[in-house]
Amino acid sequence: MSNLLQRVSDWVTSTQVYKAIFRHGYEDTPRNRSLTTFSNVLYHLHPVKTRKESIRFRYTWCMGGATLLLFVVLTVTGLLLMFYYVPDTRRAYQDIKDIMNVVSFGSTFRNVHRLAAHGMVLTVWLHMTRVFLTGAYKPPREFNWVVGVILLTLTLVLSWTGYLLPWDQLAFWAVTVGTKMAGDTPLFGVEGPFGRQLGMRQDNDIKFMLLGGTEVGQNTLIRFYVLHCVVLPLVAVVFLVIHYWRVRKDGFSGPL
Amino acid sequence: MNNGDKRITRKDFFSLVGWGGILSTLGGSVLGFYRFYFPNVLYESQKVFKIGKPEEFPEGLSEKWKKERQVWVARNKSGVYVMISICRHLGCTPNWFTDQQKFRCPCHGSIYDIMGNVLGGPAPRTLWRAAVKLDPVDGQIIVDFNNRQDPDPVSTENGLQVDEASREIEPFFLKV
Repeated sequence: MSNLLQRVSDWVTSTQVYKAIFRHGYEDTPRNRSLTTFSNVLYHLHPVKTRKESIRFRYTWCMGGATLLLFVVLTVTGLLLMFYYVPDTRRAYQDIKDIMNVVSFGSTFRNVHRLAAHGMVLTVWLHMTRVFLTGAYKPPREFNWVVGVILLTLTLVLSWTGYLLPWDQLAFWAVTVGTKMAGDTPLFGVEGPFGRQLGMRQDNDIKFMLLGGTEVGQNTLIRFYVLHCVVLPLVAVVFLVIHYWRVRKDGFSGPL
Repeated sequence: MNNGDKRITRKDFFSLVGWGGILSTLGGSVLGFYRFYFPNVLYESQKVFKIGKPEEFPEGLSEKWKKERQVWVARNKSGVYVMISICRHLGCTPNWFTDQQKFRCPCHGSIYDIMGNVLGGPAPRTLWRAAVKLDPVDGQIIVDFNNRQDPDPVSTENGLQVDEASREIEPFFLKV
């Protein structure tokens, strides 16, 4: 029996398909280890050289990695929720109630999505706090700090656009209050400095553009839905790629 | 080709045309994207609407249209004015307390009097008043929700105040 298993195993590992995927084998030589790392899309994101001290848990708190993990969790659970949620003001709230009470594991996925969203805001702040306290924002990593600030903003806007989707009283008034700030934009908002003098009205200023109307309604719901599910995640992925590529190029900061 | 010549060469000309084409395409697209986000038809509640005849509103404040149209109708000794039920702090809906003769906002505690002056709380300006006029046919009040009076208030000991006489002007006041 074990002879048969050995023969099957030998045959599988000798096929062209297997060798095309697992390219380097187990041979434990410095050259082979380097080759494995350099030719793997995930491993090669790590810097060429990493100091032992800088990958200690208490140096990074793993907060950047935790943020990425939560982003992946949010993408997966968010996709699941999209199968049952329709961004229509007449049924959005009912869909959320269905997800919570009728759909199998619906409440689990929605709660994970919600908790992970709160968690991601937290881990982004902790990650940036760690980077600040260890001085990892200094040259040559200044550009990556800038990318990080963009990612922070995207995280907060993602969180805020998701807030409207349940279409309950909390969502409606939170977004009514939140979008009022847009009306206070200088020049482009009806209530901002010089807005009125430049001909801004309730129905042509920048807040009107954001809401797709003079009040939070169907146009606002579909706008926030598209931003939340498509536009912002795609933009975030682009900046995440740049973020990791910079980490690889700049190397980890840390004690010498 | 005559190199010493300062005339526009064939290469310069096509470079100019090429870049001009690219830039005007990009510029036009940006303008198109921008304009696209401003809807031309709104499926909202009407922003110009009738609320009934002035005689239907006795002196004091009426909350009759608050839920449906987001406005209060107020009448004083000289006429009628319509205030918009949106708190000037962050846009919640204040409540009217008849016993105190005050509006109080449930969100962050802004307080207004019946004229819309700020008596307390974080509100930075006085309540909006909407433009009003009488329909010449049926005598009802027509409210224009998006045409709003928003005078600069003066800071006093009693809060942010606006001179009432300066406010009672057309089209924001109906003399009755």
